[in-house]
Amino acid sequence: MRTLFVVLGFIASILSVILAVTPLFKIAFIPSIAALVFGLIALYVSRQKQLPKKSIQLVFLLTIIALSLTTYKSIFSTVEVGDTEELIQKENESEQEAIETLEDIEIDE
Amino acid sequence: MFVIKNKLISMFRKLIALIILAPVLGISQNTAIGTQEKLAFSASYNLSGLLTEIAQVIMETSEVKTSSATLLRLKCSATTYSNFDSYFKIRDLYESYVNPNSLTPYLYKRDINEGTYNKFEQYKFNHKTKNVESILRKKKRSGNIEEKKTVKIADNTLDIVSTIYQIRNFDYKILKPGATKKFTFLFDNEPLTIIIKYLSKETLSTNLGKKECYKLAISLGNSSVLKGNNDNLLWLTADTNKIPVYAKFKIAVGSGELKIKSATGLKH
Repeated sequence: MRTLFVVLGFIASILSVILAVTPLFKIAFIPSIAALVFGLIALYVSRQKQLPKKSIQLVFLLTIIALSLTTYKSIFSTVEVGDTEELIQKENESEQEAIETLEDIEIDE
Repeated sequence: MFVIKNKLISMFRKLIALIILAPVLGISQNTAIGTQEKLAFSASYNLSGLLTEIAQVIMETSEVKTSSATLLRLKCSATTYSNFDSYFKIRDLYESYVNPNSLTPYLYKRDINEGTYNKFEQYKFNHKTKNVESILRKKKRSGNIEEKKTVKIADNTLDIVSTIYQIRNFDYKILKPGATKKFTFLFDNEPLTIIIKYLSKETLSTNLGKKECYKLAISLGNSSVLKGNNDNLLWLTADTNKIPVYAKFKIAVGSGELKIKSATGLKH
C-alpha cells in the first residue's frame, strides 16, 4: 500500500517537473496536485505503521520545485511572437509570384 | 504503427489548417469583408481551464492589381510563440486571390513550414471549365517532390481560405436556429464539404468588448478531422462585419481555442 503510493507519487512528481520546464507548464498543476495527494496518503500510512518517510520527503521536494516553477512562469512569462522576418519575406515574394501567375488566369469581373 | 502515426499527423495538419482558418456556399455579394482588414487571433490549448497560448493567427485582406483586374488577397498566417519555436516551430501561410465582389477564388497558395515538414500547394481555378490546376511540392530528405495535376471541381467549389470568408459573408438573418448551410472546398486535392449549423444568438465578452454573436457549429461532411456533435463552434459577431471572435475545437484531450486579439480596417 505504502510502496504503491510512493511510486505513484514519484511518477506524478517527476512528470510535473518535466512539464514545468516545457512551454506547456500550466498543465504541470494537474500531476503536482496528484503527487501531493499520493504523498499525503503515503505519509499517513507510514506514520501509522511507523515506516521510513525519506522517499516521501523527496516526492514533496520534487512537487514543490515543480509547483514553484510553474507558478513563477504563470505570473511572469508573457507570450510573444518569435522571428517572423522569413515569413514576411515569403509573404512578399509570394504576392509578387501570385501577380505573375494571375496574369495567365482568365478573370471575370 | 507507422500508418497510424502518419494518419494522425495528417489529421493533425488538417486540424491545424482548420483552426488557423477557422472562421460557405451560395456565392453572394461581399457585404462583410473590407479591403484593408486585419484580424489577429491567439490560438491556445485548454485542458480543464488551464489555458496555454500556442500561436498567433493573422487574417489579413489587401487589394492586388493585375494588368486586367483588381483582386482581393485573403491571407492567413500562423506563427508559434517564441517559447514553442524550439519544440515545434510553425510558420504557415495560406493565401487566396479572390473576386472582391463575389469572393470567388482564382488562385490559392498554401506554404506550410511546421518543424521539419515543408509543403507548398497551389491551385489555379478555372470556373468556366470547372478545372483546377494543382501543383504540390514537398521537401523531403530524399529530395524534392513535385506533382502537377488537374482536378475536376463541382460548381461553387472554393479553397479553404475563401471558404472562411464566405462563412463570414453569409447572411445568417435568413437562417432559423438549427438550419444548416453547406460549402464545398478543395483541400489536398480532395473536395470537402463543411456544414455550418446556426445554433443561436449569444452575447460574448471579447477583447473587442461585449458582442452579440451568431453561434455556429462546424462539421465536415466527408472527413473525420472534426469530431463530435456541436463540439466545434464558431462565434461571429451579429453585426455587418461578422468578425469571428471566438472558436472552439474538440480534440482528443482538452480543446483548442481561437480568441480574437484585435481587429482593424473593418468594412463597417
